[in-house]
Amino acid sequence: MSEELGYREEHLENIINIYLDGEVDIYSAPSFKEKIYSTAESSEVDLKVYCDKLRYIDSTGLGIFVGALKRVKQKQKDIYLSGLKENIKKLFTITGLDKVFKIEE
Amino acid sequence: MDNIQLCLPLKAEYVSIIRLTASGICNRIGFDIETIEDIKVAIAEVCNKLINVGGKSVEYLKIAFKISKDKLTVVFDCEDSSLKCIFAGEENEFGLAIINALMDEVELCTQEYILSMSKVIEGNK
Repeated sequence: MSEELGYREEHLENIINIYLDGEVDIYSAPSFKEKIYSTAESSEVDLKVYCDKLRYIDSTGLGIFVGALKRVKQKQKDIYLSGLKENIKKLFTITGLDKVFKIEE
Repeated sequence: MDNIQLCLPLKAEYVSIIRLTASGICNRIGFDIETIEDIKVAIAEVCNKLINVGGKSVEYLKIAFKISKDKLTVVFDCEDSSLKCIFAGEENEFGLAIINALMDEVELCTQEYILSMSKVIEGNK
């Protein structure tokens, strides 16, 4: 059945690194949302999401990234996305979110 | 024309099964990996929307993969005949933007089914 999304956080002094592994779809989205929103609300630093092992995302996942960004922006912080695969980067471009997030190679 | 039909409970946990099936069918047709990824996402977007709007009134989702010489057409339907315009009034939503960008033809709000979308088979473009 649907696989769980691997989610790991690394809290450093000036940034929180988040490592994703697997797929963000309508099934795995609720637990991903809970974790990243909780971190976005409680942190006072930038978030950097490592997507090297993120194989799939759809609009449900994009919506969660936007929700998390709104939460960190309230504290003048940002979300950096790193290692997006081409098929995923394409979705950020289609939706215009490539201009909203700080996307790194 | 070959017609492959899927009928599944409209539940979030089965969307990955639909994606896997779509992937297998697209691979059989000979689409490249990038196109297969695009079709998978477009199909999942429709499923997600149906799960959100269909709620408990819809038990089963029916998907038909119609393979002709020049294109793959994916048709979505369910037993609730009142559910037709699932993306109505949401032109700016991510889901519909993604579907329109990734598929070659998208037919919304028809009398016969919920949504139909097609991808032209390479070499026939």
